[in-house]
Amino acid sequence: MEKDQRSPGRGIRQSMSGLHIWAGLLMGWILYAMFLTGTVSYFKDELSQWMRPELAHQAELPDPALVAQRIADELVASVPGSPQWSMRLPDARTNSVYAFWRTAPGSAEGGRRAFGEANFDPATGGKVTARDTLGGDFFYRFHFQFHYMPALWGRWIAGAAAMFMLVAIVSGVITHKKIFVDFFTFRGGKGQRSWLDAHNALSVFGLPFHFMITYTGLVTLMALYMPWGEQLAIKTQAERQQMTAELNAFIQPGKPSGQAVPLAPVAEMVRQAQERWGRENVGRVTATNPGDSTARVAVARGESGRVSMSPQYMLFEGTTGRLLEVREGVGSAAETRGVLYALHLGRFSDGVTRWLYFLVSLMGTAMVGTGLVMWTVKRRQKLADPERPHIGFRIVERLNIASIAGLSVAMTAYLWGNRLLPAGLAERAAWEIHLFFAVWALTLAHAVLRPAKAAWIEQLWAAAALLALLPVLNAVTTDRPLWHSLGQGDWVFIGTDLMCWALAALHAVLAIRTARHRPKLRAAPAKGRTGIIGGALEEGRS
Amino acid sequence: MMHLLSFALCLAAFAALALAMERQQHDLFGRPLEPALTRALRMTGTSALLLALGVLVNWQGWGLGLVMLSGHTSLAAGVVFCTIIRIMNGGGRRGAPPRTAQSRPLPTSSRSSP
Amino acid sequence: MTPLIDRVRRTAPVASRIVAALFGGYALAALGSVAALALPMSKPQAVLTGMLASFAIYAGAVVWVFAARNALRAWAGLLVAAVPLAAAAWSVW
Repeated sequence: MEKDQRSPGRGIRQSMSGLHIWAGLLMGWILYAMFLTGTVSYFKDELSQWMRPELAHQAELPDPALVAQRIADELVASVPGSPQWSMRLPDARTNSVYAFWRTAPGSAEGGRRAFGEANFDPATGGKVTARDTLGGDFFYRFHFQFHYMPALWGRWIAGAAAMFMLVAIVSGVITHKKIFVDFFTFRGGKGQRSWLDAHNALSVFGLPFHFMITYTGLVTLMALYMPWGEQLAIKTQAERQQMTAELNAFIQPGKPSGQAVPLAPVAEMVRQAQERWGRENVGRVTATNPGDSTARVAVARGESGRVSMSPQYMLFEGTTGRLLEVREGVGSAAETRGVLYALHLGRFSDGVTRWLYFLVSLMGTAMVGTGLVMWTVKRRQKLADPERPHIGFRIVERLNIASIAGLSVAMTAYLWGNRLLPAGLAERAAWEIHLFFAVWALTLAHAVLRPAKAAWIEQLWAAAALLALLPVLNAVTTDRPLWHSLGQGDWVFIGTDLMCWALAALHAVLAIRTARHRPKLRAAPAKGRTGIIGGALEEGRS
Repeated sequence: MMHLLSFALCLAAFAALALAMERQQHDLFGRPLEPALTRALRMTGTSALLLALGVLVNWQGWGLGLVMLSGHTSLAAGVVFCTIIRIMNGGGRRGAPPRTAQSRPLPTSSRSSP
Repeated sequence: MTPLIDRVRRTAPVASRIVAALFGGYALAALGSVAALALPMSKPQAVLTGMLASFAIYAGAVVWVFAARNALRAWAGLLVAAVPLAAAAWSVW
């Protein structure tokens, strides 16, 4: 990378500017992908519904107590001997029940994996018979652990990216603190300034969100990133249990007695929780050692309307259904963590708040995107020979195209794959994901082979076309076209169709704007222009 | 309904606050407004924001209220900002090729650009 | 040789700062998270407090490292901040 001459007299603004630019650039592509997939994940449950069109639209929420009983019966029958299973009861946003379980030691499945998971039909209790897909959960998981690598690696990468983001935010605020004094006074300029203005506006207006989402993102996985205090202080089994009890409602299985006693009716336990927290405000049912005399069942409070993920649950004796304990409070630090965690996921939201989350998060995505593009826009003016930019510039330019426009194409392709891949395909869910990455790789190849501007325009148009046609594809390949969902009042499908068109319009506008844009290619005026590599890389005064 | 009310309040608040700024007054009216009017605008804006906060907190409590207010303010500020840019560019942005615009001196290059 | 030496002299302070930010910053944050154990609260709460605060320490350290007037001061600042944290951490080791 090029080096700027040091010059004395650079202030803290210069060094912070350099830090902002480099911290932002180095992780920018990963951050963009994390931001966009994270943004979409605010609607992951709706997306999962859309991706399983075989599951009927759920006009009315079934009684959670009956559903819990149904799924519990199914789990008792299908994973006998499992030391722990846990199900998330359906709410207004889900029409299936997600459950996972620890595989029984010594069982055929247990040899391969420690955990199993499946989606169940709340109406029948059986596993869903819909097409094999990860649904919206793919974007959600990709958002913090990526793919094709051990989850732990992905989480460390995501943590590093989030840390860079935090530094970029803090240094950006220090660099541009003037903006906060005269809010609104940046004006719509042209060329480089319009990019800068867009970047500034997106950053400033969404700042509370951007800061919150970055810090709370680190908090969600803080035990992984900062394990030292825990390793030092939490040593005994009792302490460990005390610790996990502060963090989540997953009760841990104790030693089974080996004496078989059937599980008491789960529905009765859920009813008690419903009386306490409201009919539709029961979140999760976890059982440990079900079928054993030591069985315990925890029924957790739902997530809606409470800005905290700290555990609140009722604990029952599994064999009798007797209430053992109601846990409704944790320590102050644990509660702080619970609030921050909840703020990141936003699951407490009502419909409007969810949309606010989505839109402001989209602003964050655009902030990262404009920041990345600005790097090349600013530098292009300083290139010695704009026709033949140096290799660093070209790498950034091409990666920008594939990671911004290309990601839109790839994410939409994932949805196309969901509709087009044959239902009987082996490992179908995995192939949907392979398709996503294959298309993303193609966009990178395309970005490298084509002239930069053409690549931008073509990929933006490709994304627009794929998005615009997705509702058509949906109408052709499923029995739930737009007119049908309108008649049913099925807002998940209506919303997805309309959102596809809205996003298609957005991409089309971007494509048209890019096509109209004429970059300024002459050298920038020498005066008054400081190096883009800021003071961070300059040791002026030593 | 409460969402709509608080969003409208935020929108009004930011519009008032923006109009209370010298630069905006200069661009929109060609001259600064009376100091008393500017003060009144600033007061109106601040009280509208506080009112929006009050509405949401009263409705959903502090936790959810603050989260919702944060979303409403971010969105409202963005809308006001885009509107101001639209007005100042007078629609000329649409047709005019960017090149002609760039021959003009860049405004306030010292501001906020590294 | 001279251009090479020149180059090293120019990049060494930057490299030193990057190391200070990435690793020094993390070390300081980790130390801070351990130091939180000295707080007068129950163990799980202290552990969580340390974790929660550590990222702020990390970000602050990185900003300091690049704001300092030169690389030497950047490192010195980290060490100065580490002393009280290490003392607190030592008390619970």
